This record gives sequence, C-alpha cells and structure tokens, in this order.
Amino acid sequence: MDKDSDPPEKSPAGRHDGSNPGATITSLLISGMLFWGGMGWLVDKWLGTGTVFLPIGLILGLVAALYLVYVRFGRD
Amino acid sequence: MSAAHVLADGCHLMGSNNCGFPAPGAEIFVFDPLFTIGPFEVTKPALLAAICAVLIIVFFWAAFGKSKLVPGRVQGLGELGYLFVRDQIARPMIGVKGDKFVPYFMTMFFFIWSMNMMAFVPFVQFPVTSRIFFPAMFATVAWAVYMYLTFRKNGFVGGLKNLAVPSGLPFWVYFILTPIEFLSNIFIRPFTLTIRLFANMFAGHMLVAVFSVAAWYLVSPSLIGMASASLSFVMAVVMTAFELLIQFLQAYIFTMLVASYISQALEEAH
Repeated sequence: MDKDSDPPEKSPAGRHDGSNPGATITSLLISGMLFWGGMGWLVDKWLGTGTVFLPIGLILGLVAALYLVYVRFGRD
Repeated sequence: MSAAHVLADGCHLMGSNNCGFPAPGAEIFVFDPLFTIGPFEVTKPALLAAICAVLIIVFFWAAFGKSKLVPGRVQGLGELGYLFVRDQIARPMIGVKGDKFVPYFMTMFFFIWSMNMMAFVPFVQFPVTSRIFFPAMFATVAWAVYMYLTFRKNGFVGGLKNLAVPSGLPFWVYFILTPIEFLSNIFIRPFTLTIRLFANMFAGHMLVAVFSVAAWYLVSPSLIGMASASLSFVMAVVMTAFELLIQFLQAYIFTMLVASYISQALEEAH
C-alpha cells in the first residue's frame, strides 16, 4: 500500500514508550509473589515447619517486585 | 441448558410451580457437539470461530485482493482498519519499525473482535473468546513470536539477559529480582493476557444471560411483576449495548498489550 510511504512523524508515533506500565506491573507483582511465595512454600515442605516461610516468601516477593517496578518505571 | 430450561418450564416468581430463580451458571458456556468431522467434534464456539475466520478472509480479500490507487468502498474500509492498527497500536507501542508487524496485529485484532462480536449477532449470541482456549491460543502465538524475536535480536546469551536481567542494579539484588523478571516475561504475561480477554467476555456474557433469564422469571400477572420484568429486560438490552463497547475495547487492548510485549523483545539488551 502506498500509505506506507507516509513520513512517520505524521502519525501519533513521534514518541513511543514501548512498554505498557499497567500490564507489566501486574505481571511483575504476580510473578514476584508466585516465585518467592513458592520458594517459601517449598522450604516449609522441606523443613516441615508448617506455615512460616510461605508468608515470608510472599512478602519478600511482593517487596522485591515493587522495587523492580520502581526501578523500571519510577526512577526517572 | 438452563436458559432454555427456564423457557420450557414456565418458571416464574410466584408461579404455580413455586420455583426459585434458575441463575445461569457456567453451564451456559458448555455445548454439545453439533456434528463431527472425522475425530473432531465441532461445537458452537468452534463453528463460530471458523465462520469468523472465513468472514475476515473474505472481507480483506475483497478489500485488498485487487487494490487500486483510488480505493473503492470496501478497500476504503479495509484501509481504515489498517491505519487504525498501524497508528493506534503498532506505532505507539513499537515505533516505525513496528510497521512490519502490522499484518500480524491486524489478523489478531480483527479475528478477536469478530469472535467477541458473535455475542451481539441475533440467535448466535455467544462470545467465542469466552472459551478460554481461544485467548490462550492467541497468547501462545504471541509468546512464540516474543521468544523468537528475543533470541533472534540479541542472540542466546543476550536474549536470556533481556528475558531475565533488569539493568542498573547492585549485584546482590539480581539474586532476588532475576527469577521474578524471568517468570514475569515467559509465563505470567501471556497468562494475564489470556485471563484478561477470557474473563471480560465470560463476565459480560454472564451478565446479559442473568438479566435475560431474570426478565422471563420475574414476569407475573401483576403491576410489580411486569415492572420488574421490564426493568430487567431493559438492563439486558443496556448490557448488550455496553458489551458492544467492551468487545471492541478488549480486542484493542489485547492487541496493544501483545504489541507492548513484542516491543520488549526488540529492545537492545542492556
């Protein structure tokens, strides 16, 4: 199509930021809690400590994910 | 199926058979096979998906099969769709180098939109994407494209770095953050893509079904019965109209997020 030859600055693409914060943040928070919570759960299973490391892992994961979000989007 | 069941039984509030509200549940998303082709049982959603695919092929063939410099009506409509996907999805998310992905985004956007729109077509009235397999397949394809581009652009080590290692942090933090980044990129993002589309279409269809069944259930030969039944019917119509917006929006958002996902693969490894 000849429309392809439009100069790019005509389209609303002058500046693109590529990443979509909302979706990425959701995804990071979920995976943070999932991974470190899962690690905590495994440690609990391994040591037979009941429910000690699961909440620790969940909180650590959430904090780490929030830090990652800050590094990605908040540090400008 | 419960909706048909209600109609057949004459189940009304304060009716003679004294029946409770037959709330539609997940069973309204389950269909018996319509027919079988060899080992494949074709159900209503599968048939609708095939019809959508054919409709899209026919439409874009008509639009661009013999494209002219001065577009006719069908071609004009097709180009409108192309420009929408290019200028609202590909370029804002990826930039000018996203232009080569526009055919992929267009296929995805119009296929998802038309499958969502099946909820609006009279007598069909089922959003195909409310069966989780369909969004899951779109997300799987997006995942495959993402993986391919990541490794092609950055090579094996650079690709892994792009997938798992956020940049510019003190050394010891990587131990905690790398697994999170990795899990987020290779598993959670396609997963949330799937759930977002599926849950929106599922919930929308459920709402319309609840109000439609309620309209029938509330009918009784009294003023309050007729009033509440009409109110429920009006709500069913309003929700159907609202869903029309959601159907477009979810197709748009899904495509946009896939574009954002892909743009990550094209970033320079840091």
